[in-house]
Amino acid sequence: MNKPLSVLNNHPHIWRAREQKQNETKFSLGFPRLDKALNGGVASTGLVRIASLTGVGELSLFKDVICQHRTHKLVVFINPPGRLQSPWLENLGLKTQQVLVVKTHTQQESLWAAEQCLKSTACHCVVLWSNTISQKEARRLQVAATHNDALCLLYTPVHRPLSSSSKQQNRPLSSAQASSDDALPITLDLYLQGTPHALSVNIRKQRHGWPKDNIVISHKWTPDNNAIKWAMTHNTLSDQALHSVS
Amino acid sequence: MLWAYIYCYQLTLDSHNRATRRTAAHYQESCVGANHKGSSLPLSTPVVVYCSKINKIVQCNDIAKTEGIEIGHGLAQAAALCPYVHVLPFNEENERHMLTQLAHRLYPLASDIVLDSHACAGGLAIRLDNLTHYYGGHEPLWKTLTQALSESDVRYHFGCAWTIEAAKVLALQKYNTYVCTRDDIKKALNACPLSLTALAPKVIESLARVGITSVQQLLDMPVQELGRRFDNNTIMYLTALRGETFPRVTLFRPLERFDNFLLLPFDVENIQHLTPFVTQQLEHLSHYLRARNLYTSNVAIYIQFREAPPMNIEIQSALPQSSVKSWLPLFTLKIENLVLPEPATAVELKCHQFEEIDTHNGDFFSDRFNDVAQKQLIGRLNAKLGDKSTFQPRAANSHQFEYMTVTEPNVPEYAYACDTAPTFTFDVPTPLTQPTQICFGPLRLNSEWWHDRPTKRDYFIAQTPQSVRLLVFKDEESRWWVQGLFC
Repeated sequence: MNKPLSVLNNHPHIWRAREQKQNETKFSLGFPRLDKALNGGVASTGLVRIASLTGVGELSLFKDVICQHRTHKLVVFINPPGRLQSPWLENLGLKTQQVLVVKTHTQQESLWAAEQCLKSTACHCVVLWSNTISQKEARRLQVAATHNDALCLLYTPVHRPLSSSSKQQNRPLSSAQASSDDALPITLDLYLQGTPHALSVNIRKQRHGWPKDNIVISHKWTPDNNAIKWAMTHNTLSDQALHSVS
Repeated sequence: MLWAYIYCYQLTLDSHNRATRRTAAHYQESCVGANHKGSSLPLSTPVVVYCSKINKIVQCNDIAKTEGIEIGHGLAQAAALCPYVHVLPFNEENERHMLTQLAHRLYPLASDIVLDSHACAGGLAIRLDNLTHYYGGHEPLWKTLTQALSESDVRYHFGCAWTIEAAKVLALQKYNTYVCTRDDIKKALNACPLSLTALAPKVIESLARVGITSVQQLLDMPVQELGRRFDNNTIMYLTALRGETFPRVTLFRPLERFDNFLLLPFDVENIQHLTPFVTQQLEHLSHYLRARNLYTSNVAIYIQFREAPPMNIEIQSALPQSSVKSWLPLFTLKIENLVLPEPATAVELKCHQFEEIDTHNGDFFSDRFNDVAQKQLIGRLNAKLGDKSTFQPRAANSHQFEYMTVTEPNVPEYAYACDTAPTFTFDVPTPLTQPTQICFGPLRLNSEWWHDRPTKRDYFIAQTPQSVRLLVFKDEESRWWVQGLFC
């Protein structure tokens, strides 16, 4: 009884969570707490799904990943939810020659375009906006990305229970969807939640690691009025002096 | 001088056979033959080419011949002899097209080619004597030419003589032997009847009246004798036939662009079924480009119909390329969404712009392959999704958020930095309906004076309770609008 078990234990295809794979290349996100939870950062290849509202800083979070690696290759934005602004790209650190925007009409076209981009070996990172993705499609993108040394960031809306009135009706559907969503064969699955002063990152699933919820990071992605506020609070001069001209 | 005359007596039929064989082979390869065989003819069908102008069969294949059909029969006679005969219409224009294509194929091998296309059949005359020097003798030269002719799969008769006129007589006689000495040519010409010469029937008749019925007798007569009886044109022809004068001819000059015309062997209703024919044309194109050390990034395919105006499919490739392997996927992607208005009868492939292969810009860094891959990718995406589906956002010359970025490729690069630019803007601003808290602003922007409706807007960055950051503005009437998102 003991012997067959030990034979099984020695099988090279059995992976144990306690044996962290060390030789995988990871791209750091620049947030120490998050990097630690992700065992060093985002994997350099594969499909990463980010479920979030649009506009909570979900792109800026990946600034270092998008801008600092494989800079001679393209970053492709497929089906973005608005008109991508080039000054913003400059601020992020992307050169415009390096950026390609692809507009598609249907979701199937987006997925097709994403797969072509990943397979072309010309892309560092494919940023794709898509409402849903099936297991099979996710698997295709994952394989295309890992085989061609590219990263695919997939932004999807948040699937969460709706308001209480519609909850009862939608329950069977949403639970079925949730179960299929959870089982996607991808590298990393994140859920971002914005709070007024910070961003909460939930790792739903990661390859070679444990899920972890509620990693709160302070993330600044827009200019703010802090400089003015600071100047106002530290102002020791009277109003009169402020306006006087000497 | 020594000229060879290649008499192509069944160009339309040859082109039909070639296309039929080609489709059969294509569908056998791709194993989808079953449902296409119906539209394509089996190779054992009797086929004739019928010229409606003279109401005669002008070309017929071997199977039709065994059925008893001969060239010169009328349509009714042919149909009576073989009711299931397949009839192709004779078109002079198409025949000339095919002859020109043949000349294009031969041009790299022989410089002096004269096109001779007349009512029912065409021919090429090739000057040989000046080429023997380069090929090292008559035999290698003739071997090279016949090799090229057999590759182009054209049936022909030929003859060689001192002038085009004399060579033509031998070709019509189906002499089919290569001769280059004067005596041999003379001997061969002597055996020809007068009816094969280009003399007018009236002249032949008047010659017959004085007892001259063969070329031999005509050649033996002194010129002075003939000069008294016939007009100038006839004399010129006769002296040319004797090899005493050499009439001026217009030599064939190849086009500077590529143009391949292919008559379809049957009407094609489904655009996907055009692929084997276009593959064939792309092969021609790749040979053409390879021979000239060129690339192209632009190919146009014209599909012709019986009634509808021709359909033009332009295929652009981001990277200049030449091989069939790179053009065919673009073509298949391009036609995926197209539907033919009516069955197609002919396909024409045109290519006007070429690019030289630049050997200097190839470097040895990995980026080289990356550059190629990028351009191929853009080409693929555009072929499937439409030409306007991919673009690179560029900074434009404006401080207003809605005009900051342009997507046209041909604008000068304008360096513009703006900290407050959002990730995305919407096409039109939407009214702000959510409760928000301002985290940056105000930033007042006036529109440029040359715009029709001057605007003055106070911009803010606002945050919703879900922490979504929006670019909002207050217009002059204190209404609040959302214009963009910060992601």
